[in-house]
Amino acid sequence: MTALRVAPRTAVILVLASVAALATFAWPFLVPAQPEGMARTTEAPLVFIVVLPVLLAVVLAELGSGGIDSKALAMLGVLAAVNAALRPLGAGTAGIETVFFLLVLAGRVFGPGFGFLLGATSLFASALLTAGVGPWLPFQMLAAAWVGLGAGLLPARLRGRAEIVVLAGYGAVAAYAYGLLMNLWFWPFSVGADTQLSYVAGAPVLENLHRFAVFTAVTSTFGWDTGRAVTTAVAIVLVGPAVLAALRRAARRAAFDAPVTFATPPPSPTPPPSPTPPSPTPPTADLSRPAPIPITPAVARETFRPGR
Amino acid sequence: MTDRVATGQRVAESETQAWAAGRRASARYPRLPRGLHPVAWWLWALGLATAASHTTNPLALAMLIAGAALVVVRRRGDAPWALAFRMYLVLGAVIVAMRIVFRLVFGGGQGDHVLFQLPEIPLPAVAAGIRLFGPVAVEQLLGGFYDGLRLAAMLICLGAANALANPRRLLKAVPGALYAVSTAVVVALSVAPQLVESVLRVRRARRLRGATGRGLRALRGVALPVLADALDRSLALAAAMDSRGYGRTAAVPAGQRALTGGLVLAGLLGVCVGTYGLLDVSVPGYLGLPMLFIGLSTAVVGMLSGGRQVRRSRYRPDRWRVAELAVAGCGVATAAVTMLAGSVDPVLLYPPVSPLTWPELTPLMVLAVVVAVAPAWLAPPPNRGNIRPEAYR
Repeated sequence: MTALRVAPRTAVILVLASVAALATFAWPFLVPAQPEGMARTTEAPLVFIVVLPVLLAVVLAELGSGGIDSKALAMLGVLAAVNAALRPLGAGTAGIETVFFLLVLAGRVFGPGFGFLLGATSLFASALLTAGVGPWLPFQMLAAAWVGLGAGLLPARLRGRAEIVVLAGYGAVAAYAYGLLMNLWFWPFSVGADTQLSYVAGAPVLENLHRFAVFTAVTSTFGWDTGRAVTTAVAIVLVGPAVLAALRRAARRAAFDAPVTFATPPPSPTPPPSPTPPSPTPPTADLSRPAPIPITPAVARETFRPGR
Repeated sequence: MTDRVATGQRVAESETQAWAAGRRASARYPRLPRGLHPVAWWLWALGLATAASHTTNPLALAMLIAGAALVVVRRRGDAPWALAFRMYLVLGAVIVAMRIVFRLVFGGGQGDHVLFQLPEIPLPAVAAGIRLFGPVAVEQLLGGFYDGLRLAAMLICLGAANALANPRRLLKAVPGALYAVSTAVVVALSVAPQLVESVLRVRRARRLRGATGRGLRALRGVALPVLADALDRSLALAAAMDSRGYGRTAAVPAGQRALTGGLVLAGLLGVCVGTYGLLDVSVPGYLGLPMLFIGLSTAVVGMLSGGRQVRRSRYRPDRWRVAELAVAGCGVATAAVTMLAGSVDPVLLYPPVSPLTWPELTPLMVLAVVVAVAPAWLAPPPNRGNIRPEAYR
């Protein structure tokens, strides 16, 4: 069940843009030592801050270019609203992050393309509602979008307890990865260029990785990131089965995969009955009309649901 | 009775006075309060942020921050996002403090003017042989302060745009290619308040059934029905959108669609090459920034041409008028004047940390700040709920 079909062209564009976007996160590892390179290190982060939103816009436009089905779009909006409402619940309490578990579960049920869009729209809506728009937002959106995409790419055949275990493990790993990416983005900005924790242009990748590891361990890994990973995994284990069931039920009712066909109108109805009074014999079977549906309680529930 | 009559008269009098004051104000300032086009505010703020990125002079940066704050205070509405500007100021202060603290703790101790000595703590080899604390020099702290202040100023400029521009109107102005995604965001923004109502409804229903559970069970008992309610709501919303003609697309020939895809693909390839060229100086220079921007603009052109497929109509679109032009022009002019100042006198825009010097201002920098502040008067007054006309002055 995928709510959003990803065409091969879209997949190629997604991969290309992700590679370019990864460079905007990881550029400190790649900067050479030459003096011109040093001059460029001051401008590179600012250039990338401009580049990334455009890349993100191109990918989002491409994902939406096939025309998103209205049911998928409404689902996307509503789930993004739930995510945006969940986010402030955790903010302020050290490391409790409530965004990821629904993102992972929804990505799992509705597929990779939907997960990508949900990650991006959730953080955007949340920024508009509470958190604030800033240069960090495109980076957050992209990292969360990757989290949703990855959840959709997990092996499809798992069900039951194994599925929950895999999802909880994925959620924990994704939470750490998200924290690492955000640290990586903020690293050159937070420490400046010439402390012992800063990246060294031209140094071997391993040395810079080591410095980054120290930086991220000092600042956040043991507090925020661990808190986020634990919250996500515990939430998936506790409410995962129920939420998965609710999402799958919604997906079934929406019937995203159902082919839409326009049937030709039925042949002209039977000519109107002649004005002569009908014969007293009751009609045994009126074939021009569909058989009436017997109204059982189940049918009544489905038909007369408030709000449909 | 007479009291009431007198009160009524007094109210009527004060209303007449307010009306007269409003007439006087509007005679002198014949502009109706209205929200400016959000793109104009963003262009203005991006211009200021560009200007801030081209200097580390603390005097110029402080004046830019003060100017942005003045415009925000005079021209923001009373919407929730308009009140978030304080958060950006706090965040800017945190960034400056963080830079200084990092230099204090991890700085190598460069500089001649040592302020004080802290005991050194060498870390084990696992931590790359880093040494904590040590001598603290003025140059080191000042370097951190200048860098941090520049970053904080850029952030605060963006915060100003955030406070001034209406995000919902901005979502209306996105290009057609992003129509679907922006519709999803609009749905999210309008559904979020309904969730609160849904939570209240579910809790009331639980209480009617006599459920008194607390803790985790109660949380599940509330959260899952709210989720199910939201999902059902999304289906109802989809039906409503279908019945109102969402998803109407224009017929685009296959050739045009192939062209769109080709442009986007080629553009992204260009971006990848350009990013590589920007970071690797051994490749020729034209593979760096120029390639990056050629690729980026190709991809954007492809994206915009893809938007032709979308057909939509706008309800009360924002117009681009003289005030919008003036505000956006102020932002561009601020950036241009600062760059000009930088090419005329680079030393004053990047005051050296060693030897220690007092930062100075040039007339060009002052001019840039004056241009940056001008929208406080050029922009029309905001549409606030109830406000005295005198406040517009």
